[in-house]
Amino acid sequence: MNKLYSNKLIIFSLVLPGLLLFVFAILAPIILSVYYGFMDYSGMGKAAAAFIGMDNYKNLMGDKAFWTSLRNSLLLAAGFICIQHPIAIGIAAVLDKLQGKAEGFFRCVYFIPNVISVAIIAYLWKFIYNPSFGLFNNILKLFGFAGKVNWLSADNAIWSVLLVLIWHGFGWGMLIYYTGIKNIDPVLYEAAAIDGADARTTFFRITLPLMKPVIQVNVTLAVIAALKQLETVYLLTNGGPGNSTQFMGNFLYQQAFQAGKYGYGNAIGVVFIAICLIATVLLNKVFAEKKSARRLKNGTAWE
Amino acid sequence: MKRKLLATLLAVAMTATLLAGCTQKATTTTETTKPAAPATTQASQEATTKATDSAAPVTLKVFSNLPDRKTGQGLVEQTMIDNYMKENKNVTITVEALDDAAYKTKFKAYSIEGMPDVVSIWGQPSFLDEVLAAGVLAPLNEADYKDYGFISGSLDGFKKDGVLYGLPRNSDIAAFYYNAKMFEDNGWKVPATYDELIALADTINAKGIAPVAMDGGDGWPLAVYLSDIMVKMNGTYSDIVTNAITKGDFSDPLFKQATDLLAKTAKAGLFQTGYDTQDYATAKNLFINGQAAMFYMGSWEASMALDTTIDEAIRTNIKAFTMPAVADGKGTTSICAWNGGGYAVSASSEVKDEATKFLNYMFKPENLSKIGWENGVGMSAQDETAFMTGSETALQKQFLDFLKNASNTSGTTVNDRGASAFKTSIESEIQSVCNGTVTSDKFLAAIGAASK
Repeated sequence: MNKLYSNKLIIFSLVLPGLLLFVFAILAPIILSVYYGFMDYSGMGKAAAAFIGMDNYKNLMGDKAFWTSLRNSLLLAAGFICIQHPIAIGIAAVLDKLQGKAEGFFRCVYFIPNVISVAIIAYLWKFIYNPSFGLFNNILKLFGFAGKVNWLSADNAIWSVLLVLIWHGFGWGMLIYYTGIKNIDPVLYEAAAIDGADARTTFFRITLPLMKPVIQVNVTLAVIAALKQLETVYLLTNGGPGNSTQFMGNFLYQQAFQAGKYGYGNAIGVVFIAICLIATVLLNKVFAEKKSARRLKNGTAWE
Repeated sequence: MKRKLLATLLAVAMTATLLAGCTQKATTTTETTKPAAPATTQASQEATTKATDSAAPVTLKVFSNLPDRKTGQGLVEQTMIDNYMKENKNVTITVEALDDAAYKTKFKAYSIEGMPDVVSIWGQPSFLDEVLAAGVLAPLNEADYKDYGFISGSLDGFKKDGVLYGLPRNSDIAAFYYNAKMFEDNGWKVPATYDELIALADTINAKGIAPVAMDGGDGWPLAVYLSDIMVKMNGTYSDIVTNAITKGDFSDPLFKQATDLLAKTAKAGLFQTGYDTQDYATAKNLFINGQAAMFYMGSWEASMALDTTIDEAIRTNIKAFTMPAVADGKGTTSICAWNGGGYAVSASSEVKDEATKFLNYMFKPENLSKIGWENGVGMSAQDETAFMTGSETALQKQFLDFLKNASNTSGTTVNDRGASAFKTSIESEIQSVCNGTVTSDKFLAAIGAASK
């Protein structure tokens, strides 16, 4: 078998599908995006594409809607990291302690929103937020309020959209943390219990430190998910009213496919890729620095 | 030897898998329509059917922006397709229907990979300019349609450099649909002036009912409303808007006055709470469920009067009025009306002759106009007087009167007069000016910049 795997033809044929997938599904679209980012092109059929240099990028820097969409995307990333993930870790830790049927039941319940179609989720929340017959306003009425809150008004819309997105992505985050906690050696908890550690100490001294690689992966995924958010926003508000709930993914789609500015849309795509790469590198650096600092503090050299 | 054989086999299997992946026949998402009982023209079909039975089989693909095939315009379109297939046994027509936003996105994809044979189009610069620049539509011979009874000027939006590229489906009129029984029960009167309309909003709001259901989430109905105000203020706006879009300068006082009035209207509570994020279906549902007294929309919604899914108490009491006169306005008898949607044949169609034949069939006065009229779907862009039966719904008669009594029609609405970038901008910014997050001046500056 080893001889088989040392055959160059076999190695080549095994690597080829992955390589082709990378070239045609990732590399080629990026190169095409860079190319069209320098063009004035409507995206319609054989209409002429004119080279305009950096004009699309210059216009992008002066486009207020772009900065609003970037701000909203970063706000969502912050919401994921500061609200969704701490709750997800907490719930995952509690689920781990539940044991038995309750553990499985609640694990399923928290994950249900993730198996429902995005379209259904968006329309469900549209109804919940509806000022005339929505659930939220009806609840307010039950408590004696007028129940006339416009949850998707220009002032409230971004927070309402963030709530939906944080709620919808919660199941994935929780499940990954839950798997991470399940992989922690139970012997450590037994030893801590023998030493008299309470639940709080166990969580902060054992669970959380050992979860750091999982947190790193989960936070990186969350930031990228926030930056490329499109479908829920498109179906819920389509970036409106005005551009108050505009996100980068939706803004790119609108410009490229609705406004007939395909070249401009590709320029947004290139900037979008750059931002995702920078965010990933920065996050890796932050976690790597913490790891190095911890090793130095402990006086250990693992490498 | 054995190892080499195994290696070769693996390599062949891998290559075969890859090729299979690459060459797998694309599956279609379209649905082949099954001929249903035709609504009309049964008698005239039989002779034609015999003649075409033995012809070579042809498959036509129709790409439509009318996903609802059971009511309204979608039903009319489907009926014509079914009738055509009955008359031409060798022809199979497949339909792919998407709503407007998805339709326009996929239209672009098709423009690169090859258009379906017959497509829905809009005879407006916001759509047609880029489409014609891409050369995806086949030219039509205008002389072929001289006996089709098209209303004067209705073909203009579908031409470029004097060449005709499509045919208009409708004559659209913007109007307020209202629940006449609700008005009568509450002693409300149809407003004759704009000030009365604003005053009526207060009265209706006090009853806990939304005065006007507005699809503000889509942006374009607000832009139509703005156009409606402009035509009432000035009588016409065609040249003013064309100049503004060409120069990217919306400083003409008409824009400022109309925008201010629109913002004032929204602030006065004429539209339902949350109108700026609510879509077409939500707005319409408010009206047909009795939660809104009025619904601002185009004449194509006249089919509500025949839609049995709407509660009879509401359905039979739907009436309409056009935008009331604006104080000191020059266009008291002008209305906001235009020829928007239509059909065209793809330049890349491999069955262009059959596609053109089908297009011409649809526009024979006894087809689209008559079937549309019988189904209460607003008005076509063709002379429909021959199809009056006297049993038209009150709504149909009202819309006919609006057109008959109008001294002038607006033509294409403001948002559809520029390129798609302008359309996208105005339909987004208009939400902000209505909800007060931007001023009229900033709104006009933004759409001016987008039109450059």
